Amino acid sequence: MQAAECTWTHFEMLRPLCFKSPSTTPLFFNFSKHFQKGFSDSSFFRSNRRISNYPSFMATISSLSTHKDPVSTHDATPNITHQPVQVAKRLEKFKTTIFTQMSMLAIKHGAINLGQGFPNFDGPDFVKEAAIQAIKDGKNQYARGYGVPDFNNAIAARFKKDTGLVIDPEKEVTVTSGCTEAIAATMLGLINPGDEVILFAPFYDSYEATLSMAGAKVKCITLRPPDFAVPIDELKSTISKNTRAILINTPHNPTGKMFTREELNTIASLCIENDVLVFTDEVYDKLAFEMDHISMASLPGMYEQTVTMNSLGKTFSLTGWKIGWAIAPPHLAWGVRQAHSFLTFATSTPMQYAATVALQAPDSYFAELKRDYMAKKAILVQGLKDVGFKVFPSSGTYFVVVDHTPFGLENDIAFCEYLIKEVGVVAIPTSVFYLNPDDGKNLVRFTFCKDEETLRSAVERMKEKLKKK
Amino acid sequence: MEGKLSSVAKNFTPSSIQELSQLAQKCNAINLAEGFPDFPAPPCIKEAAVSAINNDFNQYRRVQGICDQLALKMKKTHGLNVNPLTDIAICCGQSEAFAAAIFSIINQGDEVLLFDPCYETYEGCITLAGGIPVYVALEPPQWTLDPEKLMRSFTSRTKAIVLNSPHNPTGKVFSRDELEIIAEGCRRWDCVAITDEVYEYITYDNQKHQTIAKLPGMQERTIITSSLSKTFSVTGWRIGWAIAPASAASAIQNIHIRITDSAPAPFQEAALTALRSPIEYFETLRGEYELKRDFCMKLLGSIGFRIQFKPQGSLFLFAELPKDCLLSDVEYVEELIKQAGVVVVPGRGFFHGNESCNYQKRYIRVAFCKSGATLNAAAQKFGELINAKACPKILY
Repeated sequence: MQAAECTWTHFEMLRPLCFKSPSTTPLFFNFSKHFQKGFSDSSFFRSNRRISNYPSFMATISSLSTHKDPVSTHDATPNITHQPVQVAKRLEKFKTTIFTQMSMLAIKHGAINLGQGFPNFDGPDFVKEAAIQAIKDGKNQYARGYGVPDFNNAIAARFKKDTGLVIDPEKEVTVTSGCTEAIAATMLGLINPGDEVILFAPFYDSYEATLSMAGAKVKCITLRPPDFAVPIDELKSTISKNTRAILINTPHNPTGKMFTREELNTIASLCIENDVLVFTDEVYDKLAFEMDHISMASLPGMYEQTVTMNSLGKTFSLTGWKIGWAIAPPHLAWGVRQAHSFLTFATSTPMQYAATVALQAPDSYFAELKRDYMAKKAILVQGLKDVGFKVFPSSGTYFVVVDHTPFGLENDIAFCEYLIKEVGVVAIPTSVFYLNPDDGKNLVRFTFCKDEETLRSAVERMKEKLKKK
Repeated sequence: MEGKLSSVAKNFTPSSIQELSQLAQKCNAINLAEGFPDFPAPPCIKEAAVSAINNDFNQYRRVQGICDQLALKMKKTHGLNVNPLTDIAICCGQSEAFAAAIFSIINQGDEVLLFDPCYETYEGCITLAGGIPVYVALEPPQWTLDPEKLMRSFTSRTKAIVLNSPHNPTGKVFSRDELEIIAEGCRRWDCVAITDEVYEYITYDNQKHQTIAKLPGMQERTIITSSLSKTFSVTGWRIGWAIAPASAASAIQNIHIRITDSAPAPFQEAALTALRSPIEYFETLRGEYELKRDFCMKLLGSIGFRIQFKPQGSLFLFAELPKDCLLSDVEYVEELIKQAGVVVVPGRGFFHGNESCNYQKRYIRVAFCKSGATLNAAAQKFGELINAKACPKILY
């Protein structure tokens, strides 16, 4: 264990900064009005105050157990009624995710899972071996909070290769437990309660939840089929000097859309004009098939106001390792690091060493990755078309979004339920990715991050059992 | 862009601790500062992780078996009935479990009681969630809990109390009586106890760690957080958990999913092996750390310390500077680096609140979770120091 890497990790956190008393630190202390309904006294037990804003689809998926009901625990004092612990107001948006629910239903019905976005094949041996070696070499203690130095260096080197930008790995890279944590740390570190943040719908479901944790006011712009292009006029009328940040996911989950240079340029100039930060989620950047991936940070003048986030999981088929990172100029990276230090403190050490090796993979690895995925995509897309779906073009990611209405089900949830129970295939209903669920009711998402045989079997099942109405 | 800095960013001051850190690195000092081991993790647990990676446990997963094992442990060790299906959230370390617990129950303006001295990170989490930390000082030199002081600290805005036992930095293990006092406060004021029990298996002199959750009326209002890290010397694996009544556990799980989505998959698998360790493992762990504790106490004794509070648990010795030493904690640590090539932590970083208490600048924290070689090397350095000068400068 190198002293340089491990010294002071824990120690540094002893006094990361001086938190002044609430009266002088407005940050975090002004929750948006959205949450300030009837602030309670300290009465800890409330009669049956439950977080119960479950969306309507919960009613249709009645066979799922959701673990939401308190189970009475055996207690030596039988006269105490076990009221549920009163949970914080911010949790109104928090419920078991759609992915978990669908996966559970899939298992129950033996369905082929083309819903959840992780591969059913494993990551490359050279990366796994690097992790194993790190474990054997004793790299099992706390890593430096913002990342193992070698890994930070590798991230910077990769970023330079991909964007041409030269950054300081010590000041501008923060390693997190997956891109999910990078997003959470960015929101909590840089967004004040009440700040306006623009999201593009459909969006990955954790964005909205994390924004609500940060107390942000979300303004949503919907991307619509067939090409999910950015509605520029709507963007211009939504963005203003009151906007704190805009979140861009490209390549985009669930649609597979990739933001074009033109779109990014337009967004960039609006952001510069209105002093708006940009947070980008680029986890699928290596799964760019129909066009080149463009990082907002690489556009003229944009690096200084952009947080660029990425992760290991999708590129290297190791989604369970939870290795992600955020790249930002020092004045923004600082906020991300602060939040990160209070969320998870440090990221898994052996995996960081392995990730260092991964990011240094030769070009051939990435070329082969793309080739493999394009072959899988061809199987799925052709199959879906043959079955009778209306398939929207997907330029990147391993997702494709389709219109299910030819099959006569009333909405996306009903369709997905039908697909699991009657056909034996899982897709994800997209309505949960929109602020207004109605916007997604005609669309469902399939993934092709599965081996070819699985994809073919799924297509066969659908050809056999899914009939147009 | 300067105007874009958050208020928190603007309050940042560089840390004297970081400066000491750089000095220590420059001098290649023997590290008795950080709270993690410099000896290897148990081989069978590492093998379990290696095996998990080879067997393709590398995608998103939540290993329910961890919850089953934990429920068994809670029953066996504390006599508590915990439902493994509903009462346990698996997180990226106790750090995340604690953060998620705080976010699950703290609203803006809620007060959270903390004992002083304490681990710095709790305050950051609480503030991030909009809560207000309120400190209750433990009284030196024995770090005693004053029941009246505690009760006076509860207000109608108090939502929770944080209890870290065995305690970092003092090594105190809260007694049954003390737990009862805290429990009484929680029951009377309708508060939640959030515990940090990461050193639960590291207690000395036949002391046993007790969880406040097993006191009457407490299980339904306690969130227990802990992890593999200290028990199995794998602080870098990030496997921890929260155990709580189902509504809280479910909230914590849901928040965890939005913060990180899941804990590292191969290490979740390895956790199954770890949690099934035989009783001998824990006994050996305790025995070895007790020897290190004793060694460390002798070590400090040799350079003039009089240890008034013997650690009852954890990996730390919190020692008051010798009476005739006029240096502050930070100055002492600096001298120790320069003169003895050994680095420890100045205690002031663990204290909060009342700055006028002089004792807050008179403590150092020494971590003894180090190999025999490291501790012997430190002993040798101290030996040289004493031999070199009749009256080592650092004692004055």
